[in-house]
Amino acid sequence: MYNRIIWNDILKSKLITLTTMIFVAVAAMLVSLAAILVFNLSGSLDTLMKNAKTPHFMQMHSGEIDTVRLESFAKQNSNINTFQVVEFLNIDSAQIILGNNSLANSIQDNGLSVQNEQFDYLLDLSGNIIHVSDGEIYVPISYMRDNTTKIGDLAIISGKEFVVAGFLRDSTMNSSLSSSKRFLISTNDFAEIKDLGSIEYLIEFRLKDYSAIGEFEAAYTSAGLEANGPTLTYTLFKTLNAISDGMMIAVILLVSALVVTIAFMSIRFTLLAKIEDDYREIGVMKAIGIHLSDIKKIYLAKYAAIAATGSILGFIISLMFQGILLENLRLFMGKSENSYFAIVLGIIGILIVFLAIVAYVNGVLKRFKKITVAEAIRFGTSQEKKVVAKRFSLVRNRLYSTNIFLGIKDVFTRKRLYATMLMVLVISTFIIIVPQNLFNTISEKSFIQYMGIGNYDLRIQTNTAEKIKDIVKTIDSDSAISKYVVMTTKTFKVKTSNGSEENIKVELGDHSAFPIAYSVGRAPAAENEISLSSINADELGKEVGDVMKLVIEGREKDLRVSGIYSDVTNGGKTAKALFSDNTTSVMWTIICVEFSDKSLVDSKVLGYSDKFDFAKTSDIDEFVSQTLGSTISSVQKASFAAIVVALIITVIVTLLFMKMLIAKERYSIAIMKALGFTNSDIRTQYASRSVFVLIVGIILGTLLANTLGEVLASALIASFGAATFSFTVNPLTAYFLSPLMMLVAVLFATKLGTSDAGQINISDNIKE
Amino acid sequence: MKKIIIGDHIVKSFGVKDDQRNVLDGVSVEINEGEFVAIMGPSGSGKSTLMFALSGMDSLTNGRVIFEGMDLTEIGEKELSEIRRIKMGFIFQQPTMLKYLNIIDNIVLPSMRNNRKNAPKIAEKARKLMRRVGIGDFEKRDITQVSGGQLQRAGICRALMNNPKIIFGDEPTGALNSKSSEDIMDIFSEINMEGTALMLVTHDAKVAARSDRIMFMHDGKIVSELKLEKFNGKDIEDRINEVTVKMREVGI
Ligand SMILES: Nc1ncnc2c1ncn2[C@@H]1O[C@H](COP(=O)(O)OP(=O)(O)OP(=O)(O)O)[C@@H](O)[C@H]1O
Ligand SMILES: [Mg+2]
Repeated sequence: MYNRIIWNDILKSKLITLTTMIFVAVAAMLVSLAAILVFNLSGSLDTLMKNAKTPHFMQMHSGEIDTVRLESFAKQNSNINTFQVVEFLNIDSAQIILGNNSLANSIQDNGLSVQNEQFDYLLDLSGNIIHVSDGEIYVPISYMRDNTTKIGDLAIISGKEFVVAGFLRDSTMNSSLSSSKRFLISTNDFAEIKDLGSIEYLIEFRLKDYSAIGEFEAAYTSAGLEANGPTLTYTLFKTLNAISDGMMIAVILLVSALVVTIAFMSIRFTLLAKIEDDYREIGVMKAIGIHLSDIKKIYLAKYAAIAATGSILGFIISLMFQGILLENLRLFMGKSENSYFAIVLGIIGILIVFLAIVAYVNGVLKRFKKITVAEAIRFGTSQEKKVVAKRFSLVRNRLYSTNIFLGIKDVFTRKRLYATMLMVLVISTFIIIVPQNLFNTISEKSFIQYMGIGNYDLRIQTNTAEKIKDIVKTIDSDSAISKYVVMTTKTFKVKTSNGSEENIKVELGDHSAFPIAYSVGRAPAAENEISLSSINADELGKEVGDVMKLVIEGREKDLRVSGIYSDVTNGGKTAKALFSDNTTSVMWTIICVEFSDKSLVDSKVLGYSDKFDFAKTSDIDEFVSQTLGSTISSVQKASFAAIVVALIITVIVTLLFMKMLIAKERYSIAIMKALGFTNSDIRTQYASRSVFVLIVGIILGTLLANTLGEVLASALIASFGAATFSFTVNPLTAYFLSPLMMLVAVLFATKLGTSDAGQINISDNIKE
Repeated sequence: MKKIIIGDHIVKSFGVKDDQRNVLDGVSVEINEGEFVAIMGPSGSGKSTLMFALSGMDSLTNGRVIFEGMDLTEIGEKELSEIRRIKMGFIFQQPTMLKYLNIIDNIVLPSMRNNRKNAPKIAEKARKLMRRVGIGDFEKRDITQVSGGQLQRAGICRALMNNPKIIFGDEPTGALNSKSSEDIMDIFSEINMEGTALMLVTHDAKVAARSDRIMFMHDGKIVSELKLEKFNGKDIEDRINEVTVKMREVGI
């Protein structure tokens, strides 16, 4: 019997059932996808790093190297399993030509390497260790991804010819956020070409016990070993590899949380409306002694059926979609070992969605208990107290037209029901505004200040200290340049709280010329001040106002922390100060330049990179677009998609809501028509309801977007290394165009949803 | 006598092609201004349908309805609504009130459309009518907080708000006990004295006995008519007897 009742009910409300099912399906799809992706990501990542034997500790070093001293350190330290020094031949990117493309514009440090013997292997796309023959070259996977080259292309590196034999996965440098890229060639070719670039050393260790990495790092530093370059650990490699797919998963999780909420809302709202509809019937059933749980069963069964169908549908769709989303992951990291497990996880995900829905429906149905037989049969409505609504009296209304008044009064009278629609509109507003604000924020030029880069036009970076004077002389005499500063980076020792010493890279120079954004405090302004990147501040346990001790040529110097900033450069571990020091050797120098005429930037960049071929000259816009460009464009795409999705949700939910209200309120509509209200009066009343709810929704949604949304977006950006930022809001789009789009969507849906009201026949519906 | 409403060979059928039934089978009626007409007939004879047809609430299968010289079958939804709002009043068998409005708001509802500037005047009029029908104290009550009879009186107030030319009542006293019923009929008589035409559907000889004319319906046709003298509050027993005799004759 239940089957028949449920089936009849579903047939009677096809549109509502279908919409609810679609929301459930989308929610289930997203949850399942997120589960599948998380599992595959962690699986593939583990497989890649296991096969490649990723180093646990890697110190990059340029300059002289004392291999004997390193070897003796390795022998003495009991935690070391294996140790190797890898040569990385830095090649000027302009000297690398792949097929028809030159890498001249690449901001990556591109270089050559041979296959390692013990660990840190470079792998082919099937996950095997590559054995490379003479004349062959293997190219980092990212150059396949952006279509720079393909297998069989001719590659010319500093004049020597190679054939692109394949692509490689590099477990340490795959990510676009890691600034170096290794090309693989044979040992013979490497020996031949060695003099055409500068050698950088990767000093690598695998440990017996990775959990003791902290002690190992301290031991390495205190032994005073080679350290002229970034230090990287296994954990950091893992993070870098996971970040881009991780971001995608984070976005999917966020969207799925919202869609799940919307699915719940639409269930709640159809259910409440249904209960209101069936109020009298429920009362009658109660009166004739049918048990409450039997009545509940009917409702529960219906929603269980909808939820089950929706979940299964969503799961199937997620299986169809997973390929597209896994594509990037599979390319960069390879297939996960047991991808069947991922599907099991997906099933568990949708099972949770299903059970949550059933539990939720069960919770909403608790309301049955409150239905009293007398009320239900006599009035067919519940006697909930309407305190606020009471104050709204038509005889005292002077403010609105009667139709608008009736619309707004209805919203206040049935807050529960409209709260559901409100929630959906709040979420839609949120989904429209947050990605848009995020896009505005990161696409603005000043955003790079949050990443530790000042607002200049051009940077020239060099490791050869002797030639700085030449550069400065040329720049100083260039009349097109309005401002420039010279920043030198040196390594000092810092005393940590437990008395040991660690290396710290400090950028010395005038930091007021091209200011960056400080999350706390300000830039150093006096000789005895220093500012720290947030990662350094965390690791050293320093806050603004604290004093820290630097060791400079054996002498201690006290410096006060003046501020903390976010940084994505140099692995995020930097510091800034302006004291003068002539004793310590310079690691690198950066000259930051601003032109008075911005249109000159392109030609100047070319001119200077030709002139100072020993240095790395880059246009800041290019620098930003290569590091952040793909993120900006994907956020832009996401924000367009978000607008479309939110508007569709708004239209569907409003339409559903209006259709249902009209169906429920045929009696009231018939009364009003009998009393002489026109069809357009009635449509105005319904439009007032939805527009009123919309206005409240837009206000709440915008407030929420600028508070909670900003926090969420900050957290997302923080995963890049930037700490705090506030939204750059474009008032025209955020406070005018977006609400306008919502308004149009809601009015359109209301008009469509209430078009049936004119067809309601008075005599048929007034009999009740 | 000027006719306020003329129904001309009204046909109303329900059902689809093969299974069509004429619920109104060529009914013609004329009602004079200020006249009190009662309609009697067995259940299912088409009384309510006739009322809906005459007030323009329902479309006709055939025939015409002329209200104050206007053909209601030919004018638009807007004009029709306006006529109902300004010129007609309705009282239904069951109280028909909006759930979420209190008593007085329900009463003023049709008068307030596009007229909020006059709200104080309208409210004052509503209160006067409420006192007149004996529900003066229930202004702010919810419709669920008063009795069926009180609700029916509120319905009468609502029908009177716009000073209509004619009031249609579909068994307005059907749900009431005889004391309440008599009170309400006194009010109807008074209204009629003041010049408002009445058309009441009723089963009750006591109600019909107050009218000027009784039409008897059977199977969608008017089968008989009984003319009475204008009721002046006297001789009610005699009138009831006359009606009862006629009812027996027609077979109700
Ligand atoms: N929408 C409809 N569809 C089909 N038949 C209908 C419809 N409305 C009314 N009828 C039929 O038309 C006939 C007349 O109905 P109507 O409501 O006019 O009767 P009535 O004379 O008012 O009866 P009662 O005294 O019981 O109120 C009835 O037989 C009824 O079944
Ligand atoms: Mg009837």
